[in-house]
Amino acid sequence: MAPLIEAEEVFKIFKSGAKSVQALERVSFDVEQGSFVSLVGPSGCGKSTLLKIVSGLLPASSGSVSVAGRRVEGPLENVGMVFQSPVLLKWKSVLGNIMLPVEFARLDRTRYLEKARALVRLVGLEGFEEMYPYQLSGGMQQRVSLCRALVTDPQILLMDEPFGALDAMTRDELDIELLKIWDGKRKTALFVTHNIQEAVFLSDAIIVMSPRPGRVIERLAIDLPRPRSFEMMSSSKFCDTTLRIRGMLASASGNPAAAAGSTT
Amino acid sequence: MKFSLKDIAEPLIFFVILLLLWEVLVEIIKIPAFILPPPRDLYVAFVDKFYILYKHALVTFMEAVGGFALSFVLGVTFAVSVVYSRHLQNTIYPLIVILYAMPKSAFAPLMVIWIGYGLFSKIAIAFLVAFFPIVVNTVVGLKEVEPELLDLARINRASELDVFAKIRLPNSLPYMFAGIKVALVLSVTGAIVAEFVAANEGLGYLILQANYSLDTALALVILLILALLSLLLFMAVEILQKKMAPWSAEVRQLEGSF
Ligand SMILES: Nc1ncnc2c1ncn2[C@@H]1O[C@H](COP(=O)(O)OP(=O)(O)OP(=O)(O)O)[C@@H](O)[C@H]1O
Ligand SMILES: [Mg+2]
Repeated sequence: MAPLIEAEEVFKIFKSGAKSVQALERVSFDVEQGSFVSLVGPSGCGKSTLLKIVSGLLPASSGSVSVAGRRVEGPLENVGMVFQSPVLLKWKSVLGNIMLPVEFARLDRTRYLEKARALVRLVGLEGFEEMYPYQLSGGMQQRVSLCRALVTDPQILLMDEPFGALDAMTRDELDIELLKIWDGKRKTALFVTHNIQEAVFLSDAIIVMSPRPGRVIERLAIDLPRPRSFEMMSSSKFCDTTLRIRGMLASASGNPAAAAGSTT
Repeated sequence: MKFSLKDIAEPLIFFVILLLLWEVLVEIIKIPAFILPPPRDLYVAFVDKFYILYKHALVTFMEAVGGFALSFVLGVTFAVSVVYSRHLQNTIYPLIVILYAMPKSAFAPLMVIWIGYGLFSKIAIAFLVAFFPIVVNTVVGLKEVEPELLDLARINRASELDVFAKIRLPNSLPYMFAGIKVALVLSVTGAIVAEFVAANEGLGYLILQANYSLDTALALVILLILALLSLLLFMAVEILQKKMAPWSAEVRQLEGSF
């Protein structure tokens, strides 16, 4: 299969006045259609920035990202995004929030309302359709945010530490649900996380990044069978993989070169 | 909001005791009535001059509400323009900041020269003092939007109008209401100060008249009426806010319960 997302030698330098911060350095990777790829790396290494560049929300300083063979030059159309916080509209109900992309894109409301309801059932929020965000728990809010990202049935799902703010138990639950949804719909998923176990559990491949300026240290293929289950977490393959990634991250951050590339 | 019987009874009993104490102490210490009249005198003044009080209160009410309404319409319009226009931000905004730094009620004598002796010069002062809280709060509300929400809008190709109508404007409502509450109370103050400067009607005028004749009881009654007037306006806004932006009330209740 041809890669759906291709990043080639992406650099990103933030300039504000005389100061400049290099966030990304020569980042290249590709994501195959229908695969689940995670980005792991230390805080501040440019994962969010990279995700924004892929989505077309932020331009790269140099290098390029292309999706389905087309160079990304502005916000992509067929992308769903989930952020670390749910970012829901407080004045809209669960269903209203999920339908927001439909409203913005001026799509057929009645048709998508069906989809929205189906998604609500899928993530187990049935009966909460008319509730408002403040009436939901953090995990439920993040489920709504996931539904919102999926409602227009985008080809690509970009997730920036979507479950990072949740407790471990809720995160496990949502990971399983996410995999179920992804299995059913075969989206191409790019997932950012701090959590190595979560990355291994979810992904077909993991891109390990260095401290700022973020570079790709390694791209690991995870060949655990699917569907994934929690029992796999105790398999030796799983443990070996997490240990390897941990080692890579540790040696990358122990590297004094990391400090040399800071502000210039 | 739920009130138990205790929540109402407690302050009520407290106020009754306070009034009794006032009545008794004034009697015992023999404070002259023109310095501090007993509550009984206040009651008498209120009943005796009810019609006059009502007439002048109506004038002040009109001035305050007129000034407030003007400040709301112009303030929100101005806030939206400033948020959306860099040119306005660079030109008019500094002017407004200078104006903001001036004591607005000090314009009252000038307003008499510019607009005249009547209702409109009072409305102008009420407008001036109420304008800034509306503008400042609305601007903050329009701007304080989670950046991710704007990303979401961009990814879904939301129009500029959609971002305004579906994100920025509703987002600003709780802030706007906070501004409105401040503005309303200030507009009453503004109207009164303007009446102090030059007027022949209104509660501010009446306070001065009461002062000239050392009718302290009447002056105090007027102050109480002004408090009541402000409170009523405040509560009306509170009810409106519950209707239009229930989430802000919820958020506040959550904070308040700690
Ligand atoms: N708009 C911006 N202007 C200037 N610098 C920025 C901007 N956005 C990000 N940066 C810088 O770029 C670097 C990477 O930021 P980014 O948010 O992509 O990191 P991250 O890997 O997502 O971190 P975390 O895991 O903590 O979310 C940081 O050093 C940050 O300070
Ligand atoms: Mg981030």
